[in-house]
Amino acid sequence: MLEYQNLFNRVQVHTTVPDPGVPIEQSNWVRQLPPSFNRLLGIIGDAQIGPIYLGFTGVASLVFGFLAFEIIGLNMWASVGWDPVQFIRQLPWLALEPPSPAYGLSLPPLQKGGWWLMAGFFLTVSIMLWWVRVYRRARALGLGTHLAWAFASAIFLYLTLGFIRPVLMGSWGEAVPFGIFPHLDWTAAFSIRYGNLFYNPFHMLSIAFLYGSTLLFAMHGATILATSRLGAEREIEQITDRGTGAERAQLFWRWTMGWNATMESIHRWCWWFAFLVTFTGAIGILLTGTVVDNWYLWAVKHGVAPSYPATINITPEKMQDLRGQYQGASPQAFPVPVVPAPRIVVPPADSTAPVQLLVPAGAAPRTDSVRKNP
Amino acid sequence: MKRVLGVIMLATLAACEPGTKDTVQVGYRGVAQEINYDRSSQKEIAAANVAPAPLPPASEPSPPVKWQNVQVLTDVSANEMTRTMIAMTNWVSPKQGCNYCHNPANFASDEKYTKVTARRMLEMTRYVNSEYKAHVQGTGVTCYSCHRGNNIPQYGVWSFTDADQWRRAYLDRSDIRVQSISVKPTPVNRSSVKQTENTYALMMNVSSALGVNCTFCHNSRAWASWQNAPPARITSLYGFRMVRDINSTYIASLNTVLPPNRLGVHKDAPKVSCITCHQGVNKPLLGAQMVKDYPALWGAPTWTRGGPSDTVSRGYTDFREADSTTSDRAPILRPEFARPLPAPVPPKSGGN
Repeated sequence: MLEYQNLFNRVQVHTTVPDPGVPIEQSNWVRQLPPSFNRLLGIIGDAQIGPIYLGFTGVASLVFGFLAFEIIGLNMWASVGWDPVQFIRQLPWLALEPPSPAYGLSLPPLQKGGWWLMAGFFLTVSIMLWWVRVYRRARALGLGTHLAWAFASAIFLYLTLGFIRPVLMGSWGEAVPFGIFPHLDWTAAFSIRYGNLFYNPFHMLSIAFLYGSTLLFAMHGATILATSRLGAEREIEQITDRGTGAERAQLFWRWTMGWNATMESIHRWCWWFAFLVTFTGAIGILLTGTVVDNWYLWAVKHGVAPSYPATINITPEKMQDLRGQYQGASPQAFPVPVVPAPRIVVPPADSTAPVQLLVPAGAAPRTDSVRKNP
Repeated sequence: MKRVLGVIMLATLAACEPGTKDTVQVGYRGVAQEINYDRSSQKEIAAANVAPAPLPPASEPSPPVKWQNVQVLTDVSANEMTRTMIAMTNWVSPKQGCNYCHNPANFASDEKYTKVTARRMLEMTRYVNSEYKAHVQGTGVTCYSCHRGNNIPQYGVWSFTDADQWRRAYLDRSDIRVQSISVKPTPVNRSSVKQTENTYALMMNVSSALGVNCTFCHNSRAWASWQNAPPARITSLYGFRMVRDINSTYIASLNTVLPPNRLGVHKDAPKVSCITCHQGVNKPLLGAQMVKDYPALWGAPTWTRGGPSDTVSRGYTDFREADSTTSDRAPILRPEFARPLPAPVPPKSGGN
């Protein structure tokens, strides 16, 4: 039977009967979804759909993922009073928030973050099961497990943000909320709280690998597309066959930048860059709040952040006054709605009672804001 | 297909604000401390922020009069008193006239809650004009700064709810500062990311109230740094103090004065925020100096232009008491964290 050849052109070549794939060892689960062809999909990829192998891990992963999705969605819907119009209208701003920091690592009531814990647990189970599935499918086909380990790097970042770091900090409230804008707002607040994350060297590395990934992706993709007119994607014997498409690709890079990756090593470059985006990012997150509390000051201390002339000319004492000694409040102080009692109670005009100054219990009376009319 | 793409591209562009922008540098070069002004919206802003012409001056100076029930404006002449009352009517109750606050049969009567409120607000105006020159400077405030011809100021009036936690910072600065002043974590700063979101929300509230970017008051690479911040941040700090002070000292005292339909869900009087005066511009009414024409609102014997923004008349040079936890008193922490505070860190050159 004629095997489908992955030609780099827009001609959709396929057999009359869909390809069932290579035979593998027998398992309890069969491949589902009878294969078929789709011309539109053929424009952007392979025209054949299916068969798909779900298996136990695939089905369980989808079930747990659906549970997490439902918990998040229903909580968001409940937060607008089950109003379907408001649910759609405000969806980008709706959130399922983690418990307040006051709960620490304890189990809060469902409405106070318990749903967040449950959704997070189900989502984590779902992701882990999907990882197992990626690993086992690769082994079943006799492939290496590179995909699974690259995926594991992303999972490490996910776990760091939602589980490992909150545990180290002793509070579920440190974790990321579920929601479109809410999780972005969390990102901004996280950077502000820890004195500008751009000064975190692991954040710098992560960004470098992220942008590096896109650069490598563009270079590699462009190189292969440019040489496919010579059939380079089918060349294996690049070392022995001189003057081939792949040889020209490598010559091109030697001409332009003096050195080239090989057909094999370029994929290691890409894999490592992608892997290190989330891996270095996770390390940066792990260090934040646990080892370093203010990345800007860290950068000043280590000579990373340049200093600029002061724009306000104030004495150090005055600056200390402006800045205040400190800052911050205990986790228990939040969130409690505070309705301050009036400090001054004005009696009705016809009353002879004096104006009362109310002072909170245990505090020294304030004298600076008490003022008589001139 | 191309038409669809074109529509999508146009729709994407529509999200941008059209028109020419002006960029003004407010900090050291190369650190992106710039304010952006949209030229097309400047006309609108100018039209919406016109101060009313001052009333003609009171005819002849005369000594203060002893009134039956005047408690605040005891230091102005009869003519100036009448003039001020007319101005207040124009600013606050142009439709209802004098009767909005007064019983026409007995002007001295305090039977209307609006009169008691107006008296308290008059005290507040004089207090702000005399004690918060560091914020209001030479511009000052009048009733019109907030009311703009409405019984209740149009913008920014709010009451406590469980959801608007970030507004707490207008009254309670204990958790607005979330960044540490040390590289390493200390048990002193246990601020959470959630508290930071409240700070963030509050700051965005200020930003939109003044119609300015973050960089109007901050160098965004180090939000807490005073040295690298534009001087406007100091003016803003006094503004925070002022809003907190007038909310807790003057507005909250109306809890017992206002009728129930004027109170919020927690039975508190509606409070002010930055936008109540500023209404989208960094100088309310674009800096119009209304108060210089109304001596009754000065609150002090003379009205002079304000001095440098980081000096203040009296009693407000030490910010530690109100703007952060005091240095000699440990914050309320869990027992395991309740250790004494470290000594103040001397500021380093080039640092924060």
